[in-house]
Amino acid sequence: MDNKTVETISYLARLKLDKDKKEKITKDLENIIDFVAELQDLNTEDIVPLSNPLEKVAPKREDSVTSKNRKEAFLSNSPESDQDYFMVPKVVE
Amino acid sequence: MSWETVIGLEVHAQLSTNTKLFSSASTKFGSEPNTQVDLVDLGLPGVLPVVNKDAFKKAIRFGLAIEADINQESTFDRKNYFYPDLPKGYQITQMTKPIVEGGSIDIDVDGDKKTINITRAHLEEDAGKSIHDAYPDKSVIDLNRAGTPLLEIVSEPEISSAKEAVSYMKALHQLVTFLDVCDGDMSQGSLRCDANVSIRKVGDAELGTRTEIKNINSFRFIEKAINFEIKRQIKVLESGEKVTQETRLYDSGRDETRPMRSKEFANDYRYFPDPDLLPVVISDDEMEEIRSTFPELPADKSRRYISEFQIDESEAEIISSSRELSNFFEVAVESKNDPKLAANLIVGEIGSLLNKDNIKIDESKLSSDNFNILLQRISDGTISKKIAKTILAEIWETGRNADEIINDQGLVQIQDESLLEEVITKVIESNTKQVEDYKNGKDKLFGFFVGQVMKETQGKANPKAVNDLLKKALNS
Amino acid sequence: MSIRFKTLAELKRLLENKDISSYELVNETFKNISSSKTNSFITLDEEVALNKARDFDEGKVDGDLAGIPIAQKDLFCTKNLRTTCGSKILENFIPPYDATVVDNLSAAGSICVGKTNMDEFAMGSSNETSYYGTVRNPWDLERVPGGSSGGSAAAVSEGLVCAATGTDTGGSIRQPAALCGITGIKPTYGRASRWGMIAFASSLDQAGAFARNAEDCALLLNHICSHDSKDSTSISDERENYLDNINNDLKGKKIGIIKEFDISSLNREVQDSFEQSKRIFEALGASFVEVSMPNIRLSVPTYYVVAPAECSSNLSRFDGVKYGYRAKDVDNLEELYVKSRSEGFGDEVKRRILIGTYVLSAGFYDAYYKKAQQSRRMIKNDFVDAFNEVDIIMSPSSPSSAFKIGSKTEDPIEMYLEDLFTISSNLAGVPAMSIPHGFCNGLPIGLQLIGNYLEESKILNFAHQYQKNSDWHFKTPDLGESS
Repeated sequence: MDNKTVETISYLARLKLDKDKKEKITKDLENIIDFVAELQDLNTEDIVPLSNPLEKVAPKREDSVTSKNRKEAFLSNSPESDQDYFMVPKVVE
Repeated sequence: MSWETVIGLEVHAQLSTNTKLFSSASTKFGSEPNTQVDLVDLGLPGVLPVVNKDAFKKAIRFGLAIEADINQESTFDRKNYFYPDLPKGYQITQMTKPIVEGGSIDIDVDGDKKTINITRAHLEEDAGKSIHDAYPDKSVIDLNRAGTPLLEIVSEPEISSAKEAVSYMKALHQLVTFLDVCDGDMSQGSLRCDANVSIRKVGDAELGTRTEIKNINSFRFIEKAINFEIKRQIKVLESGEKVTQETRLYDSGRDETRPMRSKEFANDYRYFPDPDLLPVVISDDEMEEIRSTFPELPADKSRRYISEFQIDESEAEIISSSRELSNFFEVAVESKNDPKLAANLIVGEIGSLLNKDNIKIDESKLSSDNFNILLQRISDGTISKKIAKTILAEIWETGRNADEIINDQGLVQIQDESLLEEVITKVIESNTKQVEDYKNGKDKLFGFFVGQVMKETQGKANPKAVNDLLKKALNS
Repeated sequence: MSIRFKTLAELKRLLENKDISSYELVNETFKNISSSKTNSFITLDEEVALNKARDFDEGKVDGDLAGIPIAQKDLFCTKNLRTTCGSKILENFIPPYDATVVDNLSAAGSICVGKTNMDEFAMGSSNETSYYGTVRNPWDLERVPGGSSGGSAAAVSEGLVCAATGTDTGGSIRQPAALCGITGIKPTYGRASRWGMIAFASSLDQAGAFARNAEDCALLLNHICSHDSKDSTSISDERENYLDNINNDLKGKKIGIIKEFDISSLNREVQDSFEQSKRIFEALGASFVEVSMPNIRLSVPTYYVVAPAECSSNLSRFDGVKYGYRAKDVDNLEELYVKSRSEGFGDEVKRRILIGTYVLSAGFYDAYYKKAQQSRRMIKNDFVDAFNEVDIIMSPSSPSSAFKIGSKTEDPIEMYLEDLFTISSNLAGVPAMSIPHGFCNGLPIGLQLIGNYLEESKILNFAHQYQKNSDWHFKTPDLGESS
């Protein structure tokens, strides 16, 4: 867990670490990764990964519209909007 | 040096379901912004996805049509990235176990047939729309589209020219519309395509570095964008440089592709199984139901039209190639009209009217009912086929009832033999020179007399009767 | 009449007999809250609660929990009532909808008095990561109440409310219940709906209840648990009445003790309490069997891969675009994201997002995430095997009693080990609960009862029988002047 890795994952997670905390958090991350590294030595041959403890199947929904228009409520809860849209600083593509 | 092109297409087809892939909000196009957004589509804290049954039905129908393997157990994964029109910060997609794998699509390029293999087709949710030109310093977000079900159809890199790419897209377009999987409206973004383009020296085994052209939304632009990109890459390589692997946008205004703003770091989507969704299992019974409601595809239709109705092969192909036309034809035939006559008019007169206006039959003013009347009037001898064309042209403009037009404009065909004999006598008497020539063996003049009779009757004379009576009169 | 420390069943009886009105009850509750020093609430809903109490008093409301004031963990979305999840990023977030659990409890007639404090996004075992201040343990205000549902646990422990909701991702109900000397239960994964529960780790999160005893917990679960078509992971089996089997005989029942949990290394008092509890169950006719669960040692590392991975993705929606905190003075979109998230999240949340991002990133997925999912199955299989032999499994709820505020904040891993005994049931998805069973350094400690899938009824039965034969659950903190 070097500085560059921390930079990369911070970028992916859109987080910036305060200068005074960066060193400590980097060290924490390193310790945590060391702590979980134990798993790497585990013999997991033929073990099917378990992503949800409920080994059931998903229910399927009928295709009928039941949802209401909540535009006003949604836009009024947003940090910035006009009467129709959510707004963000201009995106350049 | 000669180069060859390798193209793979990733086509996103919006499924024509009523609701979104994971919420019960409507998918209707063109509504007021942000009015079709459910709690789930906004990605509010605490909301959860539940899959839409019909999205699976449609995806499977497509899979069956291309003779692919259907994974009766498929799973959803999260693709993580930040973008303002992606409300959850991840897109739910099928990375590891897609619903459809394999299969193929046949294409036809200037008469040459080719088969393009399909890698996979998976379900995923669409993003919302970012609009960048509404304000000088802001982008705005409309989430109506967010969560709309998409079927992403990924081809093998087996397409070798822009033309083939267009043929492939057209074949796909025909298929998804026929299957009622997608409405196929490219201008509204219902069917859009990303093209992976690379070139290599002829004979090279390894693929060249590819670029991905994003979101091309018309047949014409697919051809133009790919052709531009091929030329650009050749230029880059011939100048001794390397092609950069990147995502590019096609700018139709300038007819060029250009790179999207490059990112500081390459994106790493960190796919992992969506813990909010369990595997989706399609039972054998559900599969059976989907099979039993499977629509007839163009090739089968065409074959059936030929054998059942004895219509021309070329007419059968044209009619069966469009879902709308074949529906129109089938309604006419079901109403006990003459199939050959119906086919003839649909391909001929109606076809050229459709082309002229560039519309689909169900967008025209000609209803199936009115077409039925018209066909009946031809069959029962009320009007001639020639007059039918006049009437069609009128319906095309006004949508008026065919019978009304016939009555108002006095277009009823003249069958009355005595009336026709009168006209014929008149024609013979005023063209003595021609009669003489005809009798001296100039058989070709027969047509001239028919024409004169038609002219006198404003085209309303029954052609068969005219033929018979004229022959009798001239040979007497 | 003092309502403090009354059980849910007792308050029900008082209301039924009209010995007290719901209005008095709710009013008294707010008085007690205002004099409390534990900081267990983030947001109160006084006006609405009093109106509901009046409605009840006027006979307009009925239901199993009618007229009873309860508290909701501030992780459940409450319509028109601020829901912060302990985070600055949701400081002004007013949900437009109710969580299913909230819906169910209000349909039963209960009255929500407010939203309880918690570790930010439920990430923590001490309640010290809350943006709204640390919650203090009513037994000793210098100590933590445990976490993440520390506010709910403290509020019940202090007798502010007789019942509160919680959520448990790795022990967030059981550990604070233990540290605050009350009863807390986490049902089987999927038994309570997650709709409206702000997600930390979707495959581990489960709603549950805090109360003064197992019987009250059973009554609460009768409403908290339900099948919900809005949650794809919701269990569709019919919910049983959890009070039905609570008085079953324990004769001939088998209790498993996990061989791999080394209890002899724990504090003497924790060991003694555990031994005493065993004797109580033996006296009730149950016997003890040692079960080997060789993979259980992998629980904590497995959890600290799975939970951060899911959280890193679940918390991506907090981006300052649609709701929640947006940083001021940003020039472009990237800055909006980075500043809003960096200013909006606390350090522990950031640590976990970063860990999760790391273990899912290209090149590390197989080594960490996939391995963790495999070890998760191995842990689950251990439970499946164990439950072929025994009715329930028993262990301490936490390694020790409540620790001093600030004593473990420097070392995340030491904090993570607080959940050593609780995490495995979340990984397997089985139900588990904590009941008070003694003291260590003068502070309460808990006994954990773990059940097989959908056997909430059975652990509640064991807990209730235990509580009929012990008095630990009657012990209450000395609140000094504030009481």
